[in-house]
Amino acid sequence: MPQMIACFKWVVDEAYIRVGASGDLDMNAVDYKISDYDKNALEEAARIREQAGGSVTAVTVGVPEATKGVKDALSRGAEKAFFIQDPSFRDLDPSQTARILAAVIQSRIPYDLILCGEGSSDLYARQVGPQLAELLGIPCLSFVQKLTVEGDRVVAERRTDEGQEVCTAPMPVLVTVLPDINTPRIPSVRDTLMASKKEVVPVRKEDLPDISSPFLETVSMKGTSLKRSGTRFTEDPGDVKAFVDTLLQKGVLK
Amino acid sequence: MAGIWILGENRELTGELLTAGGELAAATGEKISVLLWKDRSGAEAYFALGADEILVLPELPEDVPPEALIPVITGEAKTSHPGLILLPATVRGREMAARVAAGLGTGLCSDAVAVRWNGERKTFEMERLAYGGMAVQKVVFRTAPAMATIPPRTFAPAQAKEGRTGTVRELPGPPPSPVTVVERKKRERTARDLREARIIVCAGRGIEKQEDLRIARELAEALGGEIACTRPLSEEYHWLPEDLCIGLSGISVKPELYIGLGVSGQVQHITGIRDAKVIAAVNKDENAPIFQTADLGIVGDLYGVVPNLIQEIRKAGGQ
Repeated sequence: MPQMIACFKWVVDEAYIRVGASGDLDMNAVDYKISDYDKNALEEAARIREQAGGSVTAVTVGVPEATKGVKDALSRGAEKAFFIQDPSFRDLDPSQTARILAAVIQSRIPYDLILCGEGSSDLYARQVGPQLAELLGIPCLSFVQKLTVEGDRVVAERRTDEGQEVCTAPMPVLVTVLPDINTPRIPSVRDTLMASKKEVVPVRKEDLPDISSPFLETVSMKGTSLKRSGTRFTEDPGDVKAFVDTLLQKGVLK
Repeated sequence: MAGIWILGENRELTGELLTAGGELAAATGEKISVLLWKDRSGAEAYFALGADEILVLPELPEDVPPEALIPVITGEAKTSHPGLILLPATVRGREMAARVAAGLGTGLCSDAVAVRWNGERKTFEMERLAYGGMAVQKVVFRTAPAMATIPPRTFAPAQAKEGRTGTVRELPGPPPSPVTVVERKKRERTARDLREARIIVCAGRGIEKQEDLRIARELAEALGGEIACTRPLSEEYHWLPEDLCIGLSGISVKPELYIGLGVSGQVQHITGIRDAKVIAAVNKDENAPIFQTADLGIVGDLYGVVPNLIQEIRKAGGQ
């Protein structure tokens, strides 16, 4: 019965970001969420436990406000969470996140299988999963569409650029999942209530080795404008004709 | 710094990375090494394209994945200290880059769309998209080597120059791989390459049933264009193959005309069409975000609109 870890990130919901006139990102009205594909990682861990038994521990690195995300993760099937928190953990580079996760997992959390989302919805660098595997010195199976646990091994169907590849590796192993691996559950009221009773283990910066300096430094983050003129037409036949005429004027029809 | 490394996966991608690497080699005065880890054919041809050295990684048995070579690459990098390592932003390239970066304890810029050498600060500067494409993130490196994955087609293929030569060196074999490949299934490429398409009709979630894709197909046919889709249609519903999925996690296209049918216009999708000359949309929800990023749009039910649209297009074509 595998002891599983599902990693997740609490991120800005990009749908709420506005780009200011100067190109600055306006984060005043943003909401936060568990990064989309990390929900698939949490779901996959819960699904495997339902079939093969074992346990699921959710782990995140973030700012103290991410406590909402910890509760959300616990309502999605994890029995326990490790919350590695510090106000300075807002804009970590992928290497910092991977190094922090590796330090905490190595010293505190027994595991057979670690699940991560393919990449986070905010930076989408797709580095943390494979980096974590490398730092822990365990095999890595990335971009997985289908996963099964068979005894002390996992069998994974990976998506590659050429097609698919079915791989097998002994546990302990790290797997990064694609969104099509499952459909994440929507927590019920009961799940949410139960989540409040589950154990959250806090880990603070002081408990970690020094991972304060990023390898990659972000020097600027500028909004890009995707806005276009947006001429609108109705569905009236006359308007549909005007729409086609406009396309002709623009010279994009053959 | 001792050299620029290119791990290009195949000829096409290596050619593109040699263009990126060539510009940086000119700026820094560094030599270029091409590491062949998958397609080892015609190694010598890379000299003409700008390589000064070819490092050949050993061929692996069928059931060993290329990722098994990571310890060899990391080991060689620790000995020869390249200043920059470039890989393609493909499935394998991404995993390999992330693990080599972790093994070397260095920074990696994923999906770099611009790479520059800042001679004053003595660092590589790179740009990538963040927040689904809403922002450009500019990064510099605090560690060496600098590493980046670069999306296919970001750079044009390198041009061959006559009379260039270099050295070829073989790298040692890898330690045993814990991962075994049981089966490989090649994906049949059913569609034309969308990145070359002049007109694209994209089906979104507003298409209610798989058989209704017919509507999008008919419009594409009337326009002489190709059909594409948003991520849910290929990933969740499996109505169309992944090759046809446009967006940050799919492909980026630059047609003359893009028409979205029932496409809501999430930023991740729009990022994939930002280079389209004209973006048009049909959506019954007047508040759909796609209308903000379209040049023109019809607010209406696509099921009613598209047949009229096809008729008008046919008439226009007959003129």
